[in-house]
Parts: sequence; C-alpha cells; structure tokens
Amino acid sequence: MSGATATPSLFPLQNGGDPVLLPEHITELTGLDQFGLAGELLATFVAAFIVGNFILAMTGVAGPWAKRKITASFTDRIAVNHLGPGGIGIIIADAVRLLAKENIIPENVDRPAYDLAPIVIAGSAMLGFAVIPMGSGIHLADPEVGLAFVFAVAGIASIGLVMAGYASGNKYSLLGGLRAVAQNVAYEIPLVVTGMSVVLFAGSLQMSTIVDAQQQTLFTIPGLEWAVPAWFALVNPFAFVLFLIANFAEVGRNPFDMPEAPAELIAGYQTEYSSVYFVLVYLGEFLHIFLGGAIIATIFLGGPAGPGPDELGILWFTLKIWGVFFLTQWLRSAVPRVRIDQLIEIGWKGLLVLSFANLGLTAAIVGVIA
Amino acid sequence: MSTGTETEPEAELAEPGSETNEAALESLLGERAIARDDHLNAPGFVINPNDVQDVLSDLRDEAGYDHLSCVTAQQYEDRYESIYHMKKFADPTDEVSIVVPTTVDDPVSQSAEPVFRTADWHEREAYDLVGVEYEDHPDLRRILLPETWQGHPLSKDYDQEKPQLVTLTEHQNPIQPDHHDAESDTMFLNIGPHHPATHGVLHVKTVLDGETVADVEPDIGYLHRCEEQMCEQGTYRHQIMPYPDRWDYVSAGLLNEWAYARVIEDLADIEVPEYAQIIRTMGAELCRIASHMLALGTFALDVYGEFTATFMYTFRDREVIQDILEDLTGQRMMFNYFRVGGVAWDLPEPREEFFEQTREFLNELPAKVGEYNDLITGNEIFQTRCIDTGVLEPEVAKDYGCTGPVARGSGVDYDLRRDDPYGYYEQLDWDVITRDGADNYARVLCRMEEVEESAKIIEQCLDLLEDWPEDERDVQANVPRTLKPDAGTEIYRAVEGAKGELGIYIRSDGSDKPGRFKIRSPCFSNLQALEEMSEGEYIPDLIASLGSLDIVLGEVDR
Repeated sequence: MSGATATPSLFPLQNGGDPVLLPEHITELTGLDQFGLAGELLATFVAAFIVGNFILAMTGVAGPWAKRKITASFTDRIAVNHLGPGGIGIIIADAVRLLAKENIIPENVDRPAYDLAPIVIAGSAMLGFAVIPMGSGIHLADPEVGLAFVFAVAGIASIGLVMAGYASGNKYSLLGGLRAVAQNVAYEIPLVVTGMSVVLFAGSLQMSTIVDAQQQTLFTIPGLEWAVPAWFALVNPFAFVLFLIANFAEVGRNPFDMPEAPAELIAGYQTEYSSVYFVLVYLGEFLHIFLGGAIIATIFLGGPAGPGPDELGILWFTLKIWGVFFLTQWLRSAVPRVRIDQLIEIGWKGLLVLSFANLGLTAAIVGVIA
Repeated sequence: MSTGTETEPEAELAEPGSETNEAALESLLGERAIARDDHLNAPGFVINPNDVQDVLSDLRDEAGYDHLSCVTAQQYEDRYESIYHMKKFADPTDEVSIVVPTTVDDPVSQSAEPVFRTADWHEREAYDLVGVEYEDHPDLRRILLPETWQGHPLSKDYDQEKPQLVTLTEHQNPIQPDHHDAESDTMFLNIGPHHPATHGVLHVKTVLDGETVADVEPDIGYLHRCEEQMCEQGTYRHQIMPYPDRWDYVSAGLLNEWAYARVIEDLADIEVPEYAQIIRTMGAELCRIASHMLALGTFALDVYGEFTATFMYTFRDREVIQDILEDLTGQRMMFNYFRVGGVAWDLPEPREEFFEQTREFLNELPAKVGEYNDLITGNEIFQTRCIDTGVLEPEVAKDYGCTGPVARGSGVDYDLRRDDPYGYYEQLDWDVITRDGADNYARVLCRMEEVEESAKIIEQCLDLLEDWPEDERDVQANVPRTLKPDAGTEIYRAVEGAKGELGIYIRSDGSDKPGRFKIRSPCFSNLQALEEMSEGEYIPDLIASLGSLDIVLGEVDR
C-alpha cells in the first residue's frame, strides 16, 4: 500500500481517488497535506474532534432532555418546561448541577479501577463511532474490519462495568457488575452472529461497503415508481429483529435492564458514583444506546441513505439513530423487566440458537444466489 | 399443619356466642380454664401460663379457631396479661379470648409460636413494649424499638422522662462488614432501610446464595410512632379519631377511622344513623379503590422499573378519587372525617355536583381497568415474572394470620365486610373476590377485581344517598359529651381495611381515656409471611413478593 507512493500516508486505504473520509476532506480544504504526515495527523485530530462533539451533543446534551420529554409523554406528564422553549434550557442547569456536585469517593473503593471505570465505559462507546459512516462525508475511518472493530470496542464496556461493580466495594454494585457481564456475554454472541449474516450479504466487514450494498433496489412498487432500497432490515427482517433484541440486552434497557434494575439493585454498578464520575457512567450508557442505534442504522437501515441529495445523509442518519433511541424509551415505559435467570435463558437457549439458524439460512441463500 | 376448619366442630358448637357454644368451649378446656374473663365481643377464659400451647392447639384442632387474630399484652397493678384473640376464618364472629396472666415479678408465659406462627412477631412486640417474656419463643428480641432500649414503654414502672441514648456503636450496626460466609458461600445483603423497593423504611436482612435468596428477615420499627400510647392518652370522644389516618397513611384513611369508630361505638353502645353508615360505606370504598390503585402502581414499579407508565396511570386515576374525597372530607390524606356516632358533615353542596363527579369516575373506571389489564396483567413478560412466584399456600397464609387481598389471593375466603358485617355492606349487592393462584399474579388480580366490586358498592351507595329524604339526613347520633365506659370492659373489634383485618382492642379503666389501646395491623401480620414466600427464589422475586404484599410501614410499625 505504501510501497507505491514515496510519502507515507495516514489514509492508506484510499488509493488516489476522490477524498471520502472526513480527515481527507479537511486535509484538502485546509491544505494541510503539504505538511506531510504531521498535517494529516492534525487533520485527523480535527476530524475526530468534530465527530466526537457531534456525538456528544446528541447523547450528552440533547439525549437526557429528549429522554425526559419522551418518557413524560408516555407517562402522562409534562416534564421540564420552565427554562426556555420546551424546557430545553434545563440542559444548562443540569450540566451545572451535575458538574458542581461534590464527587464523593467512598473509603474502601479500589482505586484506580474505580476512577478508570467511568472512562472505560464512556470511551469504549466513543471509539465505536470512529468507523460509522454518518453521511455527508462525515466518516472518520473506514478499515476493512469496520464491523468487527465496532463490536470489539463496544465489548470493552463490559470490562468497564465489571470494574465499576467490583471496585466500588458495594454489594449492590458487585451484583450489578456481575449481572452486566453475564448479560453481555450471553447477548454479545447472538449480536455478532446476527451481524455476520449481514456481512454474508454484503461480502465485506467494511462499513462503507455494507452501506453501499444497501443502495440497490430491492423491488419497485408497481404503479408508484417507488424503489424500495435493499436495506438489510427489509432483506432479512428476521435478522433485524434478532439484532434489535440482542442490542437492547447489550445496552441494558427494558426488558433487559438487569444490571441497574433500580427496584432490586438500587443502581447496580453505578450506585457509588457521584458528580462527574456519575456523569461519565451515565454518558457511557447513553453513548452505548446511540452506538447501538448507529450500528443498527448502518448495517440494517441503509446508513445515511434517504430521499434527497447525498448532502442530507447526516440528517437521515441522525433520524435513524433517534428512532432507535425512541424505541428504547418506549420499551422502558411499557415493558416489564425479565428476571435475571429468564434473561440468561432467553439469551443462551433462544437468541443464540435463532441467530445461528439465521446465519446458516443466510449462508445457504447467499450461496444459492451466488 | 392441622386444619380443623369446616369440619365437625362447627356442627358441635352451636351458634357463636350462644350458651351452648360457651358450654362446649368450657368442656373442651376443662380443668385448664381456671376462670372466666369475658370480653364484649367474645367469651374469655383465663388459663395458666404453662397451658398456652396446649389450649391454643386444642382450640384450633378441636374447635376450629384457626385464626390467631391478635396478641395483646398489658400490665395491671398486680399482674401481666397476654390475651390471644382467636377467631375462625370460616366465621369471624365466632371469637374467643384466651387470657394468660403472669405475675409481676416473673412475667414468663409459654409462647404460642409453635402453634401459630403469627404469634412470633406479636409476642416479640408484647415483649418489646410491655415486657412479658415468652418461653419457647424461637427468637425473643425487641421488634419495634432498638436493641439497646432500656425498659418496656407500656409497662407501669417505665420512666418516660428518662432519656434514651441509642448510640450507633452500641446498636447493632446495619452495615455489617461480614459480606461473605466462607463455609456456606453466601453473602449477607441489607435491603433497606433506604432502598427503592421497600415502600418505606423497611430493612430486610437478606442472605444470598448467588442471586438466590437463602434467608430473609424483615427488620421493622423505623417508623414506630407510639400510636398505641398516643391513643391511650387521648379521650374517646374526640382525641383518638385523628390518629387512625396516620396508620395506613396512603389513602386508606377512612377505612382506618372506621376501625376506631366501630370499636368505640360497640363499646359505648352507640347506634349510628343509617344515612351516616351509607356515607361511611361509600367513603371507605373510595379509599379502598385509591389504596388498591397505589398498590398496583407501586407493584408495577417493582416489576417494570422506575420509568414505567403504569405507575403514573394509576396515580392519575387515584387523583380523581383524591379530589372526590377532598370534596367530601375537606382533606386529601388525613381525613379525620368520621366521628364517634357518625360522620363530621353531610355530603358537600351542591349535592348534584358531587354525585355527578363521583358517577363520572365510576363510569370511566371499567375502561381504565381494561387499560390496566391490557398493560399489566395481559403482558406476557409480566406473567412470566409473577405467576408461580411468591407462592403463599392457603394453610401457610392462615398460619401467619394473613388477611385481606393477600389471603384472598391464596384462596382464603375471608372478608370482614361480609363475614362480620358492619356499616351498610350487608344491604348491598357485591361479591368477595378470591383467587386460587396463591402467587404474586393472583394477588394483583385480586386487588384489581376488588376495585370493580368497590365501584359496585359506591354506585349503590350513591343511589341510596340521592333518594334519601331530605329531613332524614342524620349524619350523627346523639353521643354524650364525655364517654366513660365501665371500668374493666374489654373489646376487640375489627374492620376490613385496605390491607386486611384492621382490629382494635380497648380496655376501659373507667376514665374517659382507654386503659389499653392495641392496634392489630394487617400489614404487620402479612409482612411476616415474606420469609415463607421468598426463600429459594431470586432477588427480583423477593422484591415482587414484597410489592405484592402491599405493606405500608406506617401501619406495620404504628
């Protein structure tokens, strides 16, 4: 890859064509490329900064407010409405409140694991967004193993959860951490295996290829001239539903919100966290919900695809993520949580078997078509 | 576990309270009855402290008195006394009181715990507050007061002026460091006193084996407010009535007030005007609906999680009732609406508006109940969580003295509104709901169906009230300014509260204040059964079982 050109590049996968990734755009726009590797590095940081802030603005700033409003409308309430239109000013008040609180660190916590856990939980989800194509040219990196990378970094969160649970020195935290790990192990496998069935269709782990594969027309509605795109959710709805269910377990939301089940474990692994640490843990959870939404949007809902010009891609992509977020809040208001043993049973005896069946079936179909 | 109900003894013993019944009891007890000490509600037999188990098991097995309703302890100048109030689940009007006197110097009496498991907590309370000691009791510790408390507050020689210091170091530290028992590989976990699912300040000491509950021990008393003693310091006529509102304080106020109203009206022989009884019946059933709504909502919180919509839905509907009750009584929670001999005032003017408002609520109720059935009981995940968890077999429920929806959910057909009628219930057309499931699901269904039955009762009350002739609307009987029942009169009376049998025992000492005022709280007895319901199940089931018991700590601790 680097052998063809004399200068080493940070974007080795793009072989001379038009710029695709955000860092490349930035390099070209700002003329940073004349500084060689250092310029590319700087451009990459700038790009990461932009993407990171965009994601944080959605999850950390808009998310909690939206969650309040969504839950309130399900539960027949009004929720925040005093500060600004629709109470949107509460975001500022919330931020000040949370950051200004005393950070209480109990005596017998196991440092530095206790301090690292919130960073691991939040950071692992942030990493995942690096390979997500968000449309409108916002795409940080596009490695060949994109999908595997997302699953891998999202899986790191389990370590953060068990760190938080164990290091807190609290029995509720410990139980919550153990539940989180049991749950993530049980549902990660169906999640990945179901994701693999998409890979079989697309023929690649690369995110951009997976998105491209969904741009074809599945069929045209006769008479209306509507081309229905070959989104994998439409091609293989069974896999879509499986993935959705496994994803709810993965992010720990109803009916699978075992790890923090407040009625049982107070707040599970986050019981002993306060102030900034709590914000990080909480943010991590939101990031994981949004990352789950981003993965679903990318591999099942055509990524940034939608009506209108390509420049609107980021809009469609954001809408799809919020759709998944909305669904989690809906389930939270409406569905009871299962018991931990029932959860494990559903995971190992139900979803795992179904996901392998789905994989086998997909492989057979793809084999026949190919 | 012996049953003895609904068998021959019923036939042998004639009508409750009749001469033949008492004669049969006398012959059953034989030599063991050393004297008679009749109460207003029941024949009373004095027995020796060593015969308690013997007599109680005979009464249960031979005569069918299978419900140890309450244990009252008190101190006289010359003796301590434990009274076992016994009833039949099949016929609660058939009562008998077993009086066990002990000397002041050595107040030791045999424990009834081996015969009735419900006696466990009742005797602990008697020991804690009065100071009677029970031999053979498996675990005779203080129950309401801290372990380090000095003296017994309801005994004669107790010095109320003496300050009591309860230091944290002396008091058993609830934050125990022994996480882990290496031998059995279990973990000790404190659930509460501050925990989202304990419905108040309840502390459940739990031993876990993984996620499985190996042992449960509820630790109560955090909300003990000396209600019994406060009532003993108030006059019968006016000063006691406000207190019952504070026992089961979540919207069951009128039901509690009725418990006191009933006992004092029986004690002082007061006839309540029919019109007032209808208002009472209507108000009480409104409270029951509000209380069951809250039970349903908080149970949903325990099973669904804290963001469930169901909780807010039940509160929305409860709010309508709160408004109606506010119009009726002038208060939202602490109603203080009943008076000795009637109620405080007539329905609010304009009456038409009140009727319209209440009828509107009743008309909308079926749709709301349907909504709950769609949202909650019809949900498959809810069913997998609730069916066959928290199982309370009917015999066990009886043994623990469980009453109310908890007992009826286990198929125990026991409802004082029908079995020991008071108020206007007898003249109305309604049914007692029982369920055979004996699990969490059955208890939820039982409460929801009771809501519909209560609506039926209210509907009929409204019809009656609307047509009542204007010049006959007496809301109060003629009650003397001061009530002084004869010294030594004793009575135990119960009503069907929101959670079950809410009973009051009063002994008058000739003054205008009770000599002894004892509250039999349904939650207190029901909560005892938690251990039986949740051992061997998972933590989430323990939480659900606790929710389905629908306890209010204000009533447990009094």
